[in-house]
Amino acid sequence: MLAVINAHILTITQGEIENGTILIENGKIVQVGSNITVAEDIDILDVEGAYVMPGLVDAHTAVGLKQEGMRWEGDDRNENTRGPIMPHLSALDGFCPEDEVIYDAMENGITTVVSAPGTANVIGGQAAIFKMQERATADDLYQGVVGMQAALGEDPKGAWRNQKKLPSTRMGAAFVLREALCKAKEYREKVARGDANPDRMPERDLQSEALAKVVTGEMPLYVHAHRADDMATALRIAKEFGLRLVVTSATEAHKLAGAIKAADVPVVLGPISNSRMSVETAARTIRTPALLHAAGVKFALTTNHPETPLLTLTMQAGLAVRGGLCPEAALKAITLYPAEIIGMADKIGSIEVGKDADLAIWDGHPLKVRSSVLATFVKGELVFEFGCNCDWEDIEGCDCH
Amino acid sequence: MLAIKNGKLVTIANGVIENGTLLVDGNKIVAIGPEVVIPAEAQVIDASGKFVTPGIIDAHAHVSIWEEGLGWEGIDVNETTNPITAAVRAIDAINPDELGLHDAYQNGVTCIWCAPGSANVIGGEGVTMRTYGETVDEMIMLSPSGIKAATGENPKGAYGSRNQMPKTRMGVAALLRETLVKAQNYQRRIEKAADNPEKMPARDLGLENMVKVLKRELPLRAHCHRADDAMTIVRVAQEFNIKVTIEHATEGYKVALELAKHGVPIVVGPTLSCRSKIEVRDSSLATPAMCAEAGVKVALMTDHPVIPVWYLPICAGVAVRHGLDEAVAMRAITLTPAEICGVADRVGSLEVGKEADIVIWDGHPFEYTTHVDYTIINGSIVYQRQ
Repeated sequence: MLAVINAHILTITQGEIENGTILIENGKIVQVGSNITVAEDIDILDVEGAYVMPGLVDAHTAVGLKQEGMRWEGDDRNENTRGPIMPHLSALDGFCPEDEVIYDAMENGITTVVSAPGTANVIGGQAAIFKMQERATADDLYQGVVGMQAALGEDPKGAWRNQKKLPSTRMGAAFVLREALCKAKEYREKVARGDANPDRMPERDLQSEALAKVVTGEMPLYVHAHRADDMATALRIAKEFGLRLVVTSATEAHKLAGAIKAADVPVVLGPISNSRMSVETAARTIRTPALLHAAGVKFALTTNHPETPLLTLTMQAGLAVRGGLCPEAALKAITLYPAEIIGMADKIGSIEVGKDADLAIWDGHPLKVRSSVLATFVKGELVFEFGCNCDWEDIEGCDCH
Repeated sequence: MLAIKNGKLVTIANGVIENGTLLVDGNKIVAIGPEVVIPAEAQVIDASGKFVTPGIIDAHAHVSIWEEGLGWEGIDVNETTNPITAAVRAIDAINPDELGLHDAYQNGVTCIWCAPGSANVIGGEGVTMRTYGETVDEMIMLSPSGIKAATGENPKGAYGSRNQMPKTRMGVAALLRETLVKAQNYQRRIEKAADNPEKMPARDLGLENMVKVLKRELPLRAHCHRADDAMTIVRVAQEFNIKVTIEHATEGYKVALELAKHGVPIVVGPTLSCRSKIEVRDSSLATPAMCAEAGVKVALMTDHPVIPVWYLPICAGVAVRHGLDEAVAMRAITLTPAEICGVADRVGSLEVGKEADIVIWDGHPFEYTTHVDYTIINGSIVYQRQ
């Protein structure tokens, strides 16, 4: 058992607690508050007034799939070779647990990420949830599939039109998506009619088998779309097939906030900080989070690492505040909201009794640029502790060592 | 006449003045201090509780020649048809109404060094320019300003993949030396001709620029991520006695003492971008701090649009988080880049006689959540927060 004492706790769900205590047992938070008696025989971590918040969550990245410092050698995001519909691929099969960005995550209080296949294909494959710890295998970090990654707009169009193959237009992308969903629906019906009778069962089809879970609503469809019209296409197709939809990237979401709210679709927005590197991101603005919040849309902020580095997740929240969002919502957008969107809110996203002890401890307010993470806990395990983090061995005069 | 009163004046040159007043007449700063009398006719901005800084300067960016919100139509940054293009000029590609320029001045970045990209070993002429103006000519501060060069993976990748030189780092260095020797020969032919038109060599626009490098009139500003690439540039600089800077300097910390010994300034960045290729694997957010500590002159860059130009003060904040002295960080986005870009006599600090490029902020300029309230360029208010 561990007691974190003298903490300025940003609980996210229950406001702030000064001089607070968090009791951790078996990787879980068992008590939170300001008047907690701490038994003498347990480990005590006195954080001397430091801010303690839940571990940060990024709901849309390519952590592990695009290794830092490598190009094609370490890039396993897009299998845009055989065709634009690849639902049977899984992020777990491409995830490298040695990606250096996992250390960035631990050093910056980011404890959970979604790793998703890339957006060159209309259906890229299954995205999965991973914890940010030092482990030998991807399976040790894996928390399950979160959804099917799809994409509309310039990415799939650009990837396939160069090869003079379908889809070379937005119409084409929507068509291949609807066609695949129809096929999966029929497959599922055939399987149901077959009723496990080997004579009546259809031949096994891995693609349709994977997509059938999307058609039944068992697995949400995460659609990457920047432009409002692409998001509108996603909403239209989701309605047609009765899908559970999450929109990612969502650069122009503020233009479609009413329809997104009406359809009760959550948004994984970002990065809001990057340059407008393509035609479809020309309308990018840091005001989008504030506008979505005002419209009542549930959204999380994301880096879409490596589009922008994972460690800028708090910066996304800080810039959202500059763009008009209240700091409370900005902090929720990198903790509780992504946890809710990915279906993990019973375990992560806030400091509450019963949740995993995923904690980020800061020497200042997390939305301040100069604040550093002092320590990070994942499920009660200390995965990072601030020390001399410089590489000054090469420089004379450093007295850190 | 414009008066900014009661502000926290971060002068860069002479420390911080609390509750100071600054007077602008025409395009110049004419008075600054704690007790400046404000003339009755002056327009007054009350900067109580605000930070007042010189205009922020990005020492290396591609704003307006690598346009945002467009594809290849707006990308005019690399003339990748020949690895030596010393004659091409960034000034000829500027779109003065580019989205990134609006972001820049509305977020306090008033001046940039706009340069060709790094696909070529010699990329062409850079230009030091303001970020606001109706025409390109109005925006230019210094042209030409530096010749862009590049080493390492970018030129190797651009040409090696077509089986053209350079395919290796040896090839990059050889092309650089060949070009400088051609310029020496060209310079000699011109000197020998002694103004006799009959004997003058045919005019060569590229070699003309390289002669300016040989004469130390223009610095060679060399893109180097790895320490070995930076040392190649230091070696060539010594051989030809030319002025150089190291741009990016991702591994600068590994050779900081060497760079300090040779007096080579570095322009570090874009911090806050990913380790996107092998040669930036060893990037560190502590590079500015470690190099400054070793005595190297350090400016920061965004390399816009690699990261957006308006991140620059945040990059300074992150450098402070990783050990850089706050005053050095503030200088690294104002006076130091002004020096490197050849305009330190005009901008980069709040001093009497300098041109009035001034920013008023509602909080510390480095913070994520801070807004720019006013941007003043060359004495005119060009942006006011609504």
